[in-house]
Amino acid sequence: MAIDMNANNIALRVSNLKTYFYNDRRCNKAVNGVSFDIQKGKTLCFVGESGCGKSVTASTIMQLLPTLSRIEEGEITYFSDSGAVRIDQLERNGDEMRAIRGSEIAMIFQDPMTALNPAYTIGFQIGEMLQYHTTMDKKQIRCKTIELLKDMGIPLPEQRIDEYPHQYSGGMRQRAMIAMAMACNPKILIADEPTTALDVTIQAQIFELMEKLKRDHGTAIFLITHDMGVVAELADDVAVMYMGNIVESGTVNDVLRKPRHPYTRALLNSIPVLGRGRGQKLQAIRGSTPDAYDRPVGCQFEPRCDYASTQCKSMPEEVSINTSHSVRCWHYEEISSDG
Amino acid sequence: MLVPMLLVISFLVYLGLEFTPGDAVSHMIPPELASQVSAEKLELIRESLGLNKSFIHRYWAWLSHAVQGDFGHSLAGGVAISEIVLDRLPATLELSAAALLISTIFGCLLGTYSALNRGTLRDSGLTVVGMLGVSIPEFFFGLVAILLFALKLGWLPVGGRLMPGFDSWFDHLPNIVLPALVLSLMMTAGVMRYSRSSMLDALNRDFIRTARSKGLPEWRINFLHGFRVALTPVVVLIGFRLPTLIGGSVIIEEVFQWPGVGAEFIEAVRGQDYPLVMMIALFSVFAMLLASLIVDVLTAWIDPRVRMGAK
Amino acid sequence: MERSSLDRKFDRIRDLEESGQLGGARGNRALRKLLNNPLALVGLILFSIILLASIFAPWLTDHDPGKINLRAMLQSPSAEHWFGTDKTGRDVFARVLYGGRVSILVGLGSALLSAAVGVLIGCYSGYKGGWIDIVCLRISEIFMAFPQIILVLLLVSIVGQSLLNLIVIFVLSGWGAMFRLSRARMLSLREEEYVQALRSFGVSTARICYKHILPNALGPIMVNVTLTTAMFILAEAGLSFLGLGVPLSIPTWGNILNVAQDLRVLQNNWWMWLPVGAVISLFVLSVNFIGDGLRDSADPTQQG
Repeated sequence: MAIDMNANNIALRVSNLKTYFYNDRRCNKAVNGVSFDIQKGKTLCFVGESGCGKSVTASTIMQLLPTLSRIEEGEITYFSDSGAVRIDQLERNGDEMRAIRGSEIAMIFQDPMTALNPAYTIGFQIGEMLQYHTTMDKKQIRCKTIELLKDMGIPLPEQRIDEYPHQYSGGMRQRAMIAMAMACNPKILIADEPTTALDVTIQAQIFELMEKLKRDHGTAIFLITHDMGVVAELADDVAVMYMGNIVESGTVNDVLRKPRHPYTRALLNSIPVLGRGRGQKLQAIRGSTPDAYDRPVGCQFEPRCDYASTQCKSMPEEVSINTSHSVRCWHYEEISSDG
Repeated sequence: MLVPMLLVISFLVYLGLEFTPGDAVSHMIPPELASQVSAEKLELIRESLGLNKSFIHRYWAWLSHAVQGDFGHSLAGGVAISEIVLDRLPATLELSAAALLISTIFGCLLGTYSALNRGTLRDSGLTVVGMLGVSIPEFFFGLVAILLFALKLGWLPVGGRLMPGFDSWFDHLPNIVLPALVLSLMMTAGVMRYSRSSMLDALNRDFIRTARSKGLPEWRINFLHGFRVALTPVVVLIGFRLPTLIGGSVIIEEVFQWPGVGAEFIEAVRGQDYPLVMMIALFSVFAMLLASLIVDVLTAWIDPRVRMGAK
Repeated sequence: MERSSLDRKFDRIRDLEESGQLGGARGNRALRKLLNNPLALVGLILFSIILLASIFAPWLTDHDPGKINLRAMLQSPSAEHWFGTDKTGRDVFARVLYGGRVSILVGLGSALLSAAVGVLIGCYSGYKGGWIDIVCLRISEIFMAFPQIILVLLLVSIVGQSLLNLIVIFVLSGWGAMFRLSRARMLSLREEEYVQALRSFGVSTARICYKHILPNALGPIMVNVTLTTAMFILAEAGLSFLGLGVPLSIPTWGNILNVAQDLRVLQNNWWMWLPVGAVISLFVLSVNFIGDGLRDSADPTQQG
C-alpha cells in the first residue's frame, strides 16, 4: 500500500508482516509479507476468499494467534495518544498488550452466539470490559452498560442487561457485541465478518450502526469480509488479499472501478449485479484455491490467471499506480487496457 | 417415570426369587430339625404364612405391605428389613458422600491443572496416574492401603466405622479416611480425565477468544470463563458415575468392615437371605433413580439455557 | 525477544518446509496414529505378554496349579517357586498363569459377547423403530437401572455360582450399554442418503443394517469393547475375591486374592496376593491404553 507520509492520520501501520502457522509438523505461511495502514476515522476493508489470510492478519494485530504460530517477520505499529507502540514486540498476554486490547483496539467476531459466553449475562460480559480498563465502580458500570446498549439500538436496555445471550435475537447479539467492543471507546474497531451469520436486512442495520460509530466517535474500522457488496457500501479504502498477500489496494473508487489485478477483476466479474437483468455473464474464477501446504511458486494466483506468463514464477513487487492505488502484478498495464 | 419403573423391577425381582431353592419355611427351620418335623406340620406353617398361595397373590400381598413401609423380614434373624436398611444407611451415606466430595474436588483440580499444562510432562504424568487409577481393582488398592497405613505404619485403623470407647464425631474421622480415599479412587481418575478434556474443549471455544480480546487477565479467562463452562458436562458425568459409587461401596465396605448397606447385601447373598437381597437390590435401584433426578436438577441450575427452557 | 525452545522448533520446521522436504504420502492415518501413540504401543505389548503367558502356561512352568504339597506351605518366593507357595503348598506362579486363562476368558469373552448381543439388537432396533424399538429400549433400561455389581450379585444369588453362569450374568449386565450405543449410531446413520438409496434399491433391512451401516459405527464399538473388557476383569476379580464369583475350585486371579481377606495373610504372606493384584492392574492398564489409543486414532479432530 502506498505509504501515507502524513503520519498523524494513521492509527495503525503494518509493515511486511509475516505470520506462519506450525501445525502437524508443517509450516503454513498464512500471511506472507503484508503492508498497509489503517487511517484514523476511516474504514479499511480486507476482501478475499476463505483461507486467504485476512482473519489471520486481524488476529495478529490483536496478538490472538494460537499457540502453534508466530509473527515471523515484520512490524505492527500502533499510534496511541502516548506515542508509537510496536505491538509485534510486546509479550503476547503481557500487561501492555492486555491494556491495548479492549480499550485501544477492540474486535468483534463473526458468530455472536458462539463468541459470547452462554453462562453469563450480557451485562456481566460488557461490565468486565469496563471493570478492567476503567476505574468505574459497580453502579457506574451498570449505568454505562445500559447507556451502551441503548446507543447500539437495543430496546429496553434496563431489562436486557440482565439477560443471557441465548435470550437475544441474532441481530441484537451482534449489537451487544459491538456495544461490548465500544465500551471503552477504542481507536480501532476490528470487525471479522460481522454480518456473515446474519440476515441481509439485519446486515444493513449493523452497517448503519458502524457508520454511526465512525461519525460519532471517529473510530477507525478494519472490516474483514468476502462480500464485495459490503465493500462497495462501507469502505473508504480496500485491500484485496489472496493466499497471504495483498494483491491490490487503494481507495474504494480505485479498486472497484479501475481494478488492475486479474484476481480483483475476476472477483468483480463473478458477482451478479442487481438491476442488470438475467442476461448477465457470470464468470467463475477457473481452478480452485491451492492447498495451503502445497503452494505455487512465485505469484500465488498464477495457475488460475488468464494473463500468466513465465515471469509470474517469481513474486511480483508492489507497484504504485498513483498515491493511493497499488498492485502486485507483472501484467497490470495490460489489464488496464482491457477496460 | 420413577414409579412404573420401580413397579416393573420389583415384579421382575420377585419373579426371579421364585427360582431360588427353598422358601421361607425351609430357611426358618435348620436342616437338622427339618427331618423331625412332619410334612403336614410344614404345610400348616406354610399356609399360615400364606406361602401356598399363587405367585400373583403373594406378590400383591408383598406390594401392599411394601407401600405401607413394611418390607418383610430378614430370614437370618427375623428383623424387619426396613429396620436393617435404615440402620445401615447412614454409614453408607457417610462413606459415599465423603468419596463423592473427594473425587469431585480432587478430580476437578487435577483435571484443570492438567488441561492448563497441556503437553508438558506434568500433564502426561497425571494422565498415566489417572489410567492407573481406573485400572487397579479398588479392593486391591484397599488391601495395599490397609497393609501400608494400618498394619505397617499404624497411622490409621484397620477397619470398622467407630472407635470403641470414643464418642465424638471427630474421633471417628481416621476410620473414614482410608475407605473414602479408596472408594474415590476410580471416580477421581474418571473425573480428572473428563474435566481435563472438558476444560480443553471449553478453552477452544470462541468466547475464550472474545474474552482474551477484551484484555482480561489469563486467570480470569481460564477460570471464570473456561472452567465455568467446562463444569456443566463434568456435573453430568458425575451424575452418570454415581452408580459406580453406589456399587463400589459394596466391596469397599466389605474390605474395611464398614457397617453399611453394601456389606449387609454381601452377607445376605452369602447367607441366601433372599428377602433381604431383593429389598436391598430394589433400594439401590431407587437410589440410582433418585440420584439421576438430583443430577438433572443440578444441571438445570448450572446451565442458564436449561434453566430457562431455552432450545 | 529471546528465542524459546518453541521458536527453535518452529525455525526447524520452517527451514525443512522451504527446502521442500516435507509432505508426501499419508498412508492409513488411523493405523499410523495408533502405532505412533507410545502408550497404546506399550499397552499392546503388555497385553500380548500377559495373554500369551497365560495361554502358554504349561510351557512356562512345570508346576501344577492345583497340586497340593503340604510340605511346601507358605514359602516365600524362591528359584523353585517364583511367586512362592500358598497355604496348601500350591505354586502361586502357576496359579497366576493358569488363573489368567479363566480371568481373561471371562473378561474378554463376556465383553465380546455382550457387545455382539448389544450391537445386534441395537442395530436392528434402532433401524426398525416402532414398537420393537420401544420394547427393547425399556428392557435395556430395566437392566441398566441397577448398579452393576448389585445386579450381578442378585443374579448370582438366584442362579448360583458357576463359570458359565458368571459369563451369562456379565453379558446380561453389560449388553445394555452397547445396545444404547449402537442404537444411537443407527438412529443417526439411518437418515443418511446412501441408506435411502439402498432402500430404494430394495435391499433388505437386515442387509442394510448389518452390511452397510454397521461398519461405519465400528470405531466407537471397538473402543467400548476394550473398556467393557477392563470392567469385567475388574468385576470378576472383585466377585471372586469375595468368594461370590467363579467357584473357588477353578483358579482365577480374583480367587487367588480371596486369601487376602485374612489380615494375617495380608501382613505376613505378601507374595500370595500382591503379585496377582499387580498382574490384574497391569493387564487392565494395558487394555485401557489400547482403548485410549483406539479412541484417539479414530477421532478426526485430534492432530495426527
